[in-house]
Amino acid sequence: MKNEKEILKWLNNELSSEEIEDLKQSENLQTLEKIAHYASQLETPKVDAHAALEAFKAKNHSKKKTKVRTLDFKALYRVAAVLVVMLTSAYFLFFNNTKSFETQIAQTKTVTLPDNSEVILNAASKLTFNEKKWADKRALTLEGEAYFKVQKGQTFSVNTTAGVVTVLGTQFNVKERKNYFEVNCYEGLVSVTYNNETIKLPPGKTFRVINGIIENVEDINAQNPSWIQQESSFNKIPLNQVIAELERQYDIKIKVKGVDTSKLFTGSFTHTDKEIALQAVTIPLKLSYRIEGKTIIFYTYDVK
Amino acid sequence: MSAEKSTLCEENHFRDFYLKHVQSANNFAYYKCGDDEAALDLVQDAFTKIWENCSKIDFSKVKTYLFTSINNLFLNNIKHQKVVLRYAKDAPNLDTNNQSPEYLFEEEEFKQKLTKAIASLSEAQREVFLLNRIDGKKYREIAELLDISQKTVEKRMSGALQLLRAQIENI
Repeated sequence: MKNEKEILKWLNNELSSEEIEDLKQSENLQTLEKIAHYASQLETPKVDAHAALEAFKAKNHSKKKTKVRTLDFKALYRVAAVLVVMLTSAYFLFFNNTKSFETQIAQTKTVTLPDNSEVILNAASKLTFNEKKWADKRALTLEGEAYFKVQKGQTFSVNTTAGVVTVLGTQFNVKERKNYFEVNCYEGLVSVTYNNETIKLPPGKTFRVINGIIENVEDINAQNPSWIQQESSFNKIPLNQVIAELERQYDIKIKVKGVDTSKLFTGSFTHTDKEIALQAVTIPLKLSYRIEGKTIIFYTYDVK
Repeated sequence: MSAEKSTLCEENHFRDFYLKHVQSANNFAYYKCGDDEAALDLVQDAFTKIWENCSKIDFSKVKTYLFTSINNLFLNNIKHQKVVLRYAKDAPNLDTNNQSPEYLFEEEEFKQKLTKAIASLSEAQREVFLLNRIDGKKYREIAELLDISQKTVEKRMSGALQLLRAQIENI
């Protein structure tokens, strides 16, 4: 095909009619002319543009909506608030497996832990531990006094406000009262952490802190603490601590008149008979007492 | 144009754009697949793509984007069919004065040959040739739409012409 450029220009409507005549002179363009002419007579399927647009809109309707919609923050906050409430309540309902045991005055309670360790709670005491985490970590919190028979296993720790007691598997007693912290070891080895110091207690030994002062205590011979047999024993304990124990074992209030409560008491009192218990405490200290309803008053002989 | 650029996402502008180009887009799709229903589907899908990405498309490029989308969608989805075109019913013959039965018959035969020849063109040649002949588009416009150079368009056009002529004269 000669004059290719000219032909292309012609079909692109870039030639004037004279130039087209010239082109036709120079080459036989009959077929090409026919091709060009009839090709432009060809028909394509006609699109009804408006109908097509409607169809297009219908198809994309949902998409358009989501496109235009802006974030509704109010609704979002509302949903978020509900979610937060639900999640927190669910957390407390399903994940907070803290178990708690508490004893009232003049009450003891035996608690069996998930690993079959046994805890006997003395009066007015509280024990809490996380049941779910127990398998990973044997740890519990104690307020008051309790006797532990711990099964052998990994570290068993008792947290108190005064100090931490950790053992592997033994029997021991922890007594944590106001200004008073005492740990007795009956079997195995108990380690007591007090003021960042760790003391190891072999069987028969006692660790005692009264008013922040660590005291030396004689060895104990008993197999378990006396309160398990419903008796409270004291070995050189200030009278105020003995009185506090009396108040816990019997539902009473004790007041003193002219009595030095820092006097040391050695002895025991029973949990079963109030009169005998009161006598057991007062007679050795040369005290007397009188009962006024629920209140007991301790006084020295010479005051009366 | 620059005013429209930022507002293609606006429904009114999109509608104008749609109405303006749907026919030529459909023609193009038809040159490719030769099936009017499939062609319209292609066109609608391509417009959907534009609508979904309206904020990302530069308005000056949107026509090219439309044609490129049709092309891509075609390549992805449509089984190629033979493109057979029909003539407009009232299409005048080249020589409108010559009404002799012999001439009319010859022209009819020529038309038949031409459609066959067009169907045998390569896709690239056919779309360029038909965009020029049926849609009356300049080479420059075609180049822009197809995102190719004008030289390429001219090459395809000239190739198409040569093939058509050779085929028609040989049959």
